[in-house]
Amino acid sequence: MVSTSNAKKKMSLQKKHNLIGWAFLIPASLLIFVFCFYPMFQAILLSFKKGMGEAQTWAGIANYSRILKDRTFKQCLFNTVFYFIIQVPVMLILALILAQLLNDATLRFKGLFRTMIFLPCATSLVSYSMIFKSLFAPDGFVNMILTKTGIGAVDWFQNAWAARFVIIIALVWRWTGYNMVFYLAGLQNIDQSIYEASRIDGATAFQQFFKITIPLLKPTILLTAIMSTSGTLQLFDESVNLTAGGPGKSTMTLAHYIFNISFVETPKFNYAAALSVFILVSVAILSAIQMKVGDSRD
Amino acid sequence: MKKKGFFSILLATAMLGSMVGAVPAAAADEDQTLTVWCWDPNFNIYAMQQAEKIYQKDHPDFKLDIQENVYNDIETKLITAATSGDYSTLPDIFLMQDYSYHKDVTSFPDVFTELTESGIDFTQFSAGKLADSTVDGKNYGVPFDNGATIMAIRSDIVEEAGLTTDDFKDITWSKFMELAKTVKDKTGTPMLTTSGGSELVLEMLQSAGASPIVDGEVKIADNEVLKQAVEVYAQLVNEGYMTEYTDWDQYIASMNNGDAAGVINGCWIMSSVQAAEDQAGKWAVVNMPALDDVDGATNYANCGGASWAVSSNCKNPELAYDFIKSTFGGSVELYDDLLVNAGAIASYLPAAESDVYQEASDFYGGQKVYADIVDFASKVPAFDCGAYYSDVRSALTDVITNVVQNGADVADELQTAQDTVEFNIEG
Repeated sequence: MVSTSNAKKKMSLQKKHNLIGWAFLIPASLLIFVFCFYPMFQAILLSFKKGMGEAQTWAGIANYSRILKDRTFKQCLFNTVFYFIIQVPVMLILALILAQLLNDATLRFKGLFRTMIFLPCATSLVSYSMIFKSLFAPDGFVNMILTKTGIGAVDWFQNAWAARFVIIIALVWRWTGYNMVFYLAGLQNIDQSIYEASRIDGATAFQQFFKITIPLLKPTILLTAIMSTSGTLQLFDESVNLTAGGPGKSTMTLAHYIFNISFVETPKFNYAAALSVFILVSVAILSAIQMKVGDSRD
Repeated sequence: MKKKGFFSILLATAMLGSMVGAVPAAAADEDQTLTVWCWDPNFNIYAMQQAEKIYQKDHPDFKLDIQENVYNDIETKLITAATSGDYSTLPDIFLMQDYSYHKDVTSFPDVFTELTESGIDFTQFSAGKLADSTVDGKNYGVPFDNGATIMAIRSDIVEEAGLTTDDFKDITWSKFMELAKTVKDKTGTPMLTTSGGSELVLEMLQSAGASPIVDGEVKIADNEVLKQAVEVYAQLVNEGYMTEYTDWDQYIASMNNGDAAGVINGCWIMSSVQAAEDQAGKWAVVNMPALDDVDGATNYANCGGASWAVSSNCKNPELAYDFIKSTFGGSVELYDDLLVNAGAIASYLPAAESDVYQEASDFYGGQKVYADIVDFASKVPAFDCGAYYSDVRSALTDVITNVVQNGADVADELQTAQDTVEFNIEG
């Protein structure tokens, strides 16, 4: 009798623990479901419909086939992919180098340097865009330096390639520190004794970096790569605030185009939803590829 | 435990917040109160407050609940109400930018109340301005501020070049190019400054009574007037008679620090021009140049401005009509006050006959600028910007960029723009 009642008590205690666990999970899950998954589901539904307001009719894949014929979309896709291909590798490599430098045990004022490099990503997206806008203005700081050094001023925002360059510089400036923090955290987790052992075996600093640091940081690199991919494909603030998509539409990103379709031009929510789904699928595919490539288990 | 308590408080606050948020909409049900959305405390909110005071003289119980909303928020809220089908969140009266009128009335007709039969005398407003808020011959808005296009010029700079500001009055673009060349050669200063975009080209188009959309058909590719307007724009930039700034602040600065000898824009640009107080007496206002050899070309256009709309959620439309009729649609006294205290130039034509409008402005060297501008406004050709105006503007901006920056062929670019806009319409 005594033992069974004990068992009962144990069971109920375990159940109680489980219930508490669920209770902690439910509010967050519920909020994520209501505010993220439900709208996503609705957006997918919306992308298969046509019409304004409540008068929606099913349109099949009309919105998706429209994407293929849309020249502005192609331009924006090109811009976005261009940012992605140039900016993500440059930024991640830079972040890795900075993290490695700042992880040096003998370096002084480490905290100060880390804070300084991390600080850009604590600034608001709009205010940093404004600052870059004034830096690269016709009579801004950058042009002043270029003129003084004899290179000559550049019309940063009038020329398509120059404007794309400014966006990439801005992105690298803002997000390198953010990714560096991940790498720093990852580096802290690598046991110093591995480096010591390799030093005894005569490994150079380069060998240590490529043979020890990078393989052991792989999960972190993967994480930052996926986050940057998703972030770059959804790039919005820089396109809107820094260049307003111009000149013409030569720096406009997909997310900016989606916003324009919905709220600036004559609204086409269904088409905008279809484009959003396109970005979602692209991010999913690219992340899947990255996970496959970065997977250390063979 | 502490954390839990914190979250429950947070949740409770959020719920309370949403409840409080719902109250103002309910308050609109009260008999003599109208809710208004507009955005600028020094300009249109001030205007509504003055209108309220004027109407209260005869209607002591009347009250306005003016809620400040940034324009983009107003438009987002309209779209939210329309797409959700819940119009109860809308105010009684709201201010809308003229350029989105056709788009929003066509896309979301249920947001608006038609004002054609409301008793407001629409013949008293300038035709060009009124057309912006008129869709299919029906009135949906009461014009507020004037957006008549002006050319403001620095009299001291043109005089340095041996010209007078009168030389720039009632001229064509080819004549303007000659004058701008003189100014550029003698002073090194470009005649104009622009913030880029397609406004100036569209103003040229409107000044010739032409439109990018005719009877619902896109008319960009084979539009001779439009082609000429783009060519004039490209010539202005290429010859160095006009400097393009992509940044608004730099654009404003270029007028204030003498980097340009003038500017063409809606007359609301005057408040920015006047910001350089040290240049008092050195500015003059004339009409814009007309296109050469185009039938119906004039020196008048319109750029920007806003109009008052009555929402479909208005519980007391008779009151709203009467309020607007006796203030923005009929009170010279109101417009006199707005001109002096808010710098708002009326689109209400009788206001121009009032004494206040006849006063000379010291900033503009003693010119009666306000009377002149209202006179410009009365001559603006009507312009049907259509529901796809924002799409047209965006496509034309691409045309101008490609022609000016990359030397692309005007006809080819206009064909691309035509295709783009048609593609947007068909979707």
